[in-house]
Amino acid sequence: MSLSSLTKPWQPMSYGFLDASAKREIRRKMLKAVAVPGCQMPYASREVPMARGWGTGGLQVSLTLINPKTCVKVIDQGADDSVNAASIRRFLADVSGAPTTLDTLQADLIQSRHRIPEEKLAAHQTLVLQVPNPEPLRSVQPNMSIARQMHADADYGRMWLQLYEQIVRSGRVMQGASYPAMVNGRHVMTPSPIPRWDVPKLHMAQHLTILSAGREKRIFAVPPFTRVEPLVFDDVPYKVEDHGDLTCNRSGARGFFMNEIPLPDGSSTHEISDSDYGVKTIRARDGETVEMGATWYNNGQMEDAQ
Amino acid sequence: MAYVATRGGARAIEQAERLFRAEMGEIDPARVNEIRTAMPYLIDRVMGEASLYDEDIAALALAQTGGELYEAVLLLRAWRTTQPRLQVAQPVQQNALFTHRRISAAFKDIPGGQLLGPTLDYSHRILASDVLTGTPFVPVPVDAAAQPAPATQPSVAAWQAANDLVDLPEPDLTRPDDIPDITREPVLFPSKRAHTLQSLARADTGGTLALGYAAMRGYGKAHPTVNELRLAEAEVMVKHPKGTEFSAGRVKVSQAEVVSKSGEKLSLGFAATLGWNEVKCISAATLDLNSKGAAKGSATEEEFFLYHTEGVESSGFCIHFKLPHYVTFQSSLDAMRDANAKRQAQPQDQEPAE
Repeated sequence: MSLSSLTKPWQPMSYGFLDASAKREIRRKMLKAVAVPGCQMPYASREVPMARGWGTGGLQVSLTLINPKTCVKVIDQGADDSVNAASIRRFLADVSGAPTTLDTLQADLIQSRHRIPEEKLAAHQTLVLQVPNPEPLRSVQPNMSIARQMHADADYGRMWLQLYEQIVRSGRVMQGASYPAMVNGRHVMTPSPIPRWDVPKLHMAQHLTILSAGREKRIFAVPPFTRVEPLVFDDVPYKVEDHGDLTCNRSGARGFFMNEIPLPDGSSTHEISDSDYGVKTIRARDGETVEMGATWYNNGQMEDAQ
Repeated sequence: MAYVATRGGARAIEQAERLFRAEMGEIDPARVNEIRTAMPYLIDRVMGEASLYDEDIAALALAQTGGELYEAVLLLRAWRTTQPRLQVAQPVQQNALFTHRRISAAFKDIPGGQLLGPTLDYSHRILASDVLTGTPFVPVPVDAAAQPAPATQPSVAAWQAANDLVDLPEPDLTRPDDIPDITREPVLFPSKRAHTLQSLARADTGGTLALGYAAMRGYGKAHPTVNELRLAEAEVMVKHPKGTEFSAGRVKVSQAEVVSKSGEKLSLGFAATLGWNEVKCISAATLDLNSKGAAKGSATEEEFFLYHTEGVESSGFCIHFKLPHYVTFQSSLDAMRDANAKRQAQPQDQEPAE
């Protein structure tokens, strides 16, 4: 064996942008995160050619997982056509040569900002969620080193107290998106700012979810078939957004998470948030043969978990 | 709907970038050169915040971003992180620095003398408006001193230590390769000394000033006295694989040491950065001076100021609020509407228990 057989010519950019040492670190941290579901693993978090807060955590994970055969889908707030999703998709394709898709069913790797697609993900798929703030305790404890200790002690009393106070003051839990959830009965995690609608999709799911916060330098994971239970009191059940009866005015899809579109006359209309599912619904309606995957919600109701 | 919309999104972002770049026109080596030679202090600031010492590359980043400083620093950091770490240079010793400027506010005179070097400190800040009407501003040549100042200067703190006024920190004997590197591992608190100093060295100048100024105004416990402020050039001493030690060149560095009375002794705050940036070093050293024993959540607590002076992270997060947030907003609206509906359904006299 010679030295030259172990080396390769210098290249201006590594495959998938990140250098091998950065990818190795992220792989290790992902493995740790999978081993301890919901527990935040600190990582170096390299700078990438995108501003912090724009999906750099998700991007680093995607860049580490990607290979030339990985079929990639990128969504932002449910839409493939959002400008930042388009930008990330173009970057991932440019630096990896990987094919891209808009179809949830075709994707091997889905990087998403704040939504989980409406079609069920399968065991071979990986969902990468971009996370602005990985710390569910931030609202009760902004100091990260104290919060870290609280997780170590499973000291979630203040979290419960906060939910209780909301019920007392407002008659319900006022948490919008980022609803805190207990993972595998041990770590409270933020599911990232996905709507409450999406949190039950993580519970006992077949797919792997990696959550990554680039700016805050934390990776955590929900491995397949892991319990993800929103924090609720026995007598106040978990409540998703009241979208089960809404109909998309463009596609006619009904019973999914919707975007509310204000109208000049003071009323509003709704469009389905999962843009690709909306497109499929339109194409099916217009007589095309479209493969529609099974959805987590049917008739606006989440099916019971296994 | 989506095919058109997707292409539209892709086309829109491409055209938006073109619009930004059209303003600045062609970038050629002459422009990069001009920026480098005309704006050394801007170059220094950017190199310090990027923690990447290369004047040409820094000038290129400024040209490419039209002087949008946060963009320039991000561009440099993103490039820097892909570069291999070939070697760790020998630690820079204060008394070996090729010193251009060294002043102390603690004493009227100091061993080695007060050395003003290049500064605008005592100039009258009057705009040379004649330049705009056609009279170039020609700087008056410097009259060299009869006796050049020595190239190296002892540190003021060394004198204070010899006089039992200050306890210098123990020399850090960590092997170069074992020095914790903030670009390769996350900072955790209480932070390692190396992480603190590295983080301050690449902190955002404005952010460091804001928090340092808060400490100076009274939100910190210690009032800083500038023990020593130094602008210098440092030799970058590296080792050839064959064992020869040699200088790979000089880099401009600045450092500040501030002191404050703490019981019977003086306590020290320190900061250094690549490039010449006095405001940042004095502010950062003031934060360092105040950090010991600072209350959790105060502006002088290490976790607070290290997180919030990280320019790439703070600026990125700030501009990310321009991204659509309609899903999260919808989720909040749903909870608000439901709570309001519940309240209206309740009899008026029943106030919820507080």
